Amino acid sequence: MNNSSGGILRALSFRNISAVYIFIIIFVVFSLWIPEKFLQIGVWRSLLDAEALTGLAAIAALIPLVAGSLNLAVGAQVGFSAILSAWFLSKAGLPIAIQLPVVVLMGALIGFVTALVITRLKVEPIIATLGMSSILLAGMAAVSNSQQILGLGPDYRMIATTQFGGITVPVYVLLIVAVITWYVLERTPIGRRLYAVGYNPEAAHLAGVGVERLRIATLTAGGAIAALAGALLTSRINAGDPTVGPSFLLPALTAVFLGSTQFKGGRFNVWGTVVAMYVLAVGIKGLQLAGSPSWVNNLFYGIALLLAVALSQWERTARRGSAIGRLLRRRQPVGPGQG
Amino acid sequence: MAVSTPLLRVTGLVKRFPSLVALDHLDLDVHGGEVVAVVGHNGSGKSTLVKILAGAYTADDGSVALAESTDLHFIHQNLALIGELSAVENLGLANGRGAAAAAPFRSTEERARTRELIERFGAGFDIDRPVRELTPAQRAVIAISRALEGWTHPANVIVLDEPTESLHRNEVEVLFAAVRQLAAEGAGVIFVSHRLDEVLDLADRVVVLRDGSKVADEPVTEIDQARLVELITGDAGAVVGDAQSAGRRNEDAGPVLRVRGLRGATVDGLDLELYPGEVVGLAGVLGSGREAVPSLLYGAAPSEAREYTVAGQSYARRSPKASLARGIAFVPGDRGRLGAILEMSARENLTLPQLRTLTGPFGNILMKEERDETDGAMAAYQVRPPLAEQKFTLFSGGNQQKVVIARALRDDPSLLLLDEPTQGVDIGAKATIYETIDAAAARGTAVLVSSSDDKELMRLCDRVIVMRDGRMAAELSGANLTERRLVSEGYGFA
Ligand SMILES: Nc1ncnc2c1ncn2[C@@H]1O[C@H](COP(=O)(O)OP(=O)(O)OP(=O)(O)O)[C@@H](O)[C@H]1O
Ligand SMILES: [Mg+2]
Repeated sequence: MNNSSGGILRALSFRNISAVYIFIIIFVVFSLWIPEKFLQIGVWRSLLDAEALTGLAAIAALIPLVAGSLNLAVGAQVGFSAILSAWFLSKAGLPIAIQLPVVVLMGALIGFVTALVITRLKVEPIIATLGMSSILLAGMAAVSNSQQILGLGPDYRMIATTQFGGITVPVYVLLIVAVITWYVLERTPIGRRLYAVGYNPEAAHLAGVGVERLRIATLTAGGAIAALAGALLTSRINAGDPTVGPSFLLPALTAVFLGSTQFKGGRFNVWGTVVAMYVLAVGIKGLQLAGSPSWVNNLFYGIALLLAVALSQWERTARRGSAIGRLLRRRQPVGPGQG
Repeated sequence: MAVSTPLLRVTGLVKRFPSLVALDHLDLDVHGGEVVAVVGHNGSGKSTLVKILAGAYTADDGSVALAESTDLHFIHQNLALIGELSAVENLGLANGRGAAAAAPFRSTEERARTRELIERFGAGFDIDRPVRELTPAQRAVIAISRALEGWTHPANVIVLDEPTESLHRNEVEVLFAAVRQLAAEGAGVIFVSHRLDEVLDLADRVVVLRDGSKVADEPVTEIDQARLVELITGDAGAVVGDAQSAGRRNEDAGPVLRVRGLRGATVDGLDLELYPGEVVGLAGVLGSGREAVPSLLYGAAPSEAREYTVAGQSYARRSPKASLARGIAFVPGDRGRLGAILEMSARENLTLPQLRTLTGPFGNILMKEERDETDGAMAAYQVRPPLAEQKFTLFSGGNQQKVVIARALRDDPSLLLLDEPTQGVDIGAKATIYETIDAAAARGTAVLVSSSDDKELMRLCDRVIVMRDGRMAAELSGANLTERRLVSEGYGFA
């Protein structure tokens, strides 16, 4: 079989790696439009750094989604953990070595509780996480008094700002988390089972897969990763800011859905997610540098999310489209050899 | 048949998929009053033809022409029901109700009509339950009723893609009576099936497809079963062999499975004992409990039992996972919903229940070993096309079933529970599956087969338990195991 040449062509097709082509278009457009602002190494470095946290939030949403739970609370989870981090440091006075693990554990616990609501109380994931999101937002406001928590001390800041080879710690954290997630999802039996649960929980159950336990595990792991993103967020801006976290939701979900159209032919996957996330961020950055107002962010992500989901449904809708076409056609005489 | 112009004329139809040509310049005429059977091996293009007629696929070349005011009606291989809706609602969908669509929806009339339609098939079940909770046979009844509903004039063409796969004899007969009635009134019928005796019974003309090409188009009077088998397989010797069973049962080590008073779903108190090396059948009409037993035994649905032991050990908290760990494998009757994960590849489906043997030192799946093993299974079970990486939905129905069977036998189970194991499978592959089941029994596996196909039970089983109203009505073996007895015991007029 001429599998290899066909395989390469398919791998490079627009359908498979549209994000890469979109990136090239964005890059060319802004390079011609605002070269003096856009083609600065500093811009790219800060982009890499700042968006690493979005990447973590996206992976936190990705893992449960693979097993079929759409998590609308990711933003609130990041935000709550960020506030919790700041509160532990400045109000409770915990040392970092204790504060950081505690925050991550709390995040895992939040994910675990959400999972119990979904699996034991049989609440749909969308509703369960929407409710959880609201509860966490309330918790954030209560802990922070809806104000920034300052005075975290000088050391905490170092975590997110220390550089190795010109690249900051959050980028490495993202890379490590992504590699581990990739390995588990694509190379281990657990990952295989997670996808099975996401596609068809009943058939997976009959194949001996522990559907509930895996669902719980994914939401717990997602919670821990969201908390890690929250802790790094607080370190990065050197304050506990109750307004930042929730804004992670939209970019994270957009990246996950756009990512699912990349590389793996419709499957949610890590590298698709990370690449999509950065491509979207570059687009936003370019628009900002070109002087567009800040509401363009929401517009951009909103449109991108809709397009991404539409794209990921492409195959199915294509088939449905032809079913509609049949209904229309049936009203007309068919073919030339009539009667 | 009639000299009239055909109701449906298909000329030069071509459909290509990336991996193969599914239809290769197919010509087909269907006249009013005529039943045309379309047969062929798994993946020969039968469903592709149906899907093109339905407009679900567009042909690459060729044309489809219908006579003036002729409509097409379909029963698809996957039935195309909406799982969340009830029988009443699914039937309501078919009626172009126009302005009346705003009228109260589950009116008493509609419910009464639904009940009437279903009772024609001798089936009584809850018409308000979501159809996804019904058995495949019950769903087939709904789909058939729906296709027979709402005809404004008789000169239409009805297309049935393997409608009888999960139906028992009596249900099949009701369907055939309905189809003959339609044909007598002037309808054209296209009937796709692997059950050759039914084909010879119902059809006026037989069209045989092989790898997308038409290899025969003959009146049924000119053809017999042996000739048909030869045309389908392209091989004169390929006939489903007779059983050489009997005396395989090994009682030395005691029963693999011993159940007393099994209750759950439609089963109401069943005792069962299975020994290594024997193949036991379960027969019975729709609703007899026959179809529920394998899934109850597997732990897929909740059940109670006074006693339930596997290899002498009590097994109380039953679940699929625990069953697999005890060497119990299960092939569900509802392939699309329960038997496989359609969005995953054949490889991923094959290995899903047992990945431990393919796990490396870092908890990783050994990709190469997995691929090799899958390729081996694809070849051994004659899956066409043998593309392990192809998405499961893209395989034809029968080829999907081969993979599901391969998966159940992969781990050399000590107890194999089968529900309609050869549904949608062509005669060539059916023979392979039967041989595989024989071989598993010879290795000491105890096999329980629930089937609506009496011939299959006769071929496979050492003894057959006939069920009626959720209990055992008779146990047949040796000279008593005849098709006649299976039918008469099933109805209870022995
Ligand atoms: N969308 C698709 N993409 C790729 N291949 C396809 C697609 N649909 C069908 N095929 C292939 O086309 C061939 C014909 O399939 P079809 O469903 O028509 O077979 P069939 O004769 O109905 O078989 P069966 O008896 O098993 O139902 C098969 O090999 C199948 O794998
Ligand atoms: Mg078919």
